[in-house]
Amino acid sequence: MSLPILVVDDSAMARKMLIKSLPPEWDVEISQAENGVQAIEAYRAGKAAVMFLDLTMPVLDGYGVLETLRKEDLNSMVIVVSADIQPVAQERVLSMGAIAFVKKPVSSELISTVLKQYGVI
Amino acid sequence: MSLAALSNDQRDALQELTNIAMGQAGASLATLLDEFVDLSVPRIRVVELVDLPPVLAELVGKTNLVSAVRQSFQGYLRGEAIIIFGEPGCQALADLMGFEGELGESGENELLLDVANVLSGACLGGMMEQIRNFTETKGPAELSFSMPSVMARQVMAEQLIDPQKVQWSHALLLEVNFTIKNRDFIAHLTMLMPEEGIEKIRGILDEFLAAF
Repeated sequence: MSLPILVVDDSAMARKMLIKSLPPEWDVEISQAENGVQAIEAYRAGKAAVMFLDLTMPVLDGYGVLETLRKEDLNSMVIVVSADIQPVAQERVLSMGAIAFVKKPVSSELISTVLKQYGVI
Repeated sequence: MSLAALSNDQRDALQELTNIAMGQAGASLATLLDEFVDLSVPRIRVVELVDLPPVLAELVGKTNLVSAVRQSFQGYLRGEAIIIFGEPGCQALADLMGFEGELGESGENELLLDVANVLSGACLGGMMEQIRNFTETKGPAELSFSMPSVMARQVMAEQLIDPQKVQWSHALLLEVNFTIKNRDFIAHLTMLMPEEGIEKIRGILDEFLAAF
């Protein structure tokens, strides 16, 4: 069965870049969300065994999503994908339950490394 | 002649490129200010220079006073970056830098120059870096910058740029939002360029869009 994964970013191009960086052999069913509220809806609908989450978004940002997931038992592996390279941002999302932080622009090498590290692929 | 506005896809791509570039600016500012900096680019648009004064006035508020720094660039793209700060932003920066009471004009100018330099360098430099990484563009995507200088202190936004006195025909406007220590402030980056500069950027964006 394909693994349901969710790509969350307000930029259509950023979502495309990320989807293109996923390992081609990875058997996944990809859903997309443009903001945190859509992300949480998709998560509740069981579409996010793995979530790639941008931080800066309208309506509800990535921190807001992490906070909500934490209240709801965090039944998803969240990989934060952000251009914010301040160490504080990384520490903060990891402390909020994200398993990893990937810096934008993403590359297939970066994504594969993280997925392998956590035994996702 | 008038230039077509950026398409939605082109704007989305430029916004994402700029956001990535701004990640570097945020990190540099965080070091400069010793505070966590939340930084985003919510709005981008291209306007003809004749339309710039009223657009700027609308963006920063018609009755608000602004200060601005200018810095020219040349190489892969040529033009002039103008970084505009509203007065509350200047004061917030001074507070964050830990200046007690009156900073004095020279101190404030220095602060504006530092922050403007970080923003324009990160924005344009970051864009060039991504152009080099992603596209098969002819010729090296390098830029050199002049020293920044303060062009205006506490003037009305509408009076900041006189289209008659500027050699460039178009402006690429980026609004940059910062949040530092729960204080929000906004800077506007205005890149003045000739029409071929805007067309060059449009070509790069189309290459990006085709690649993904």
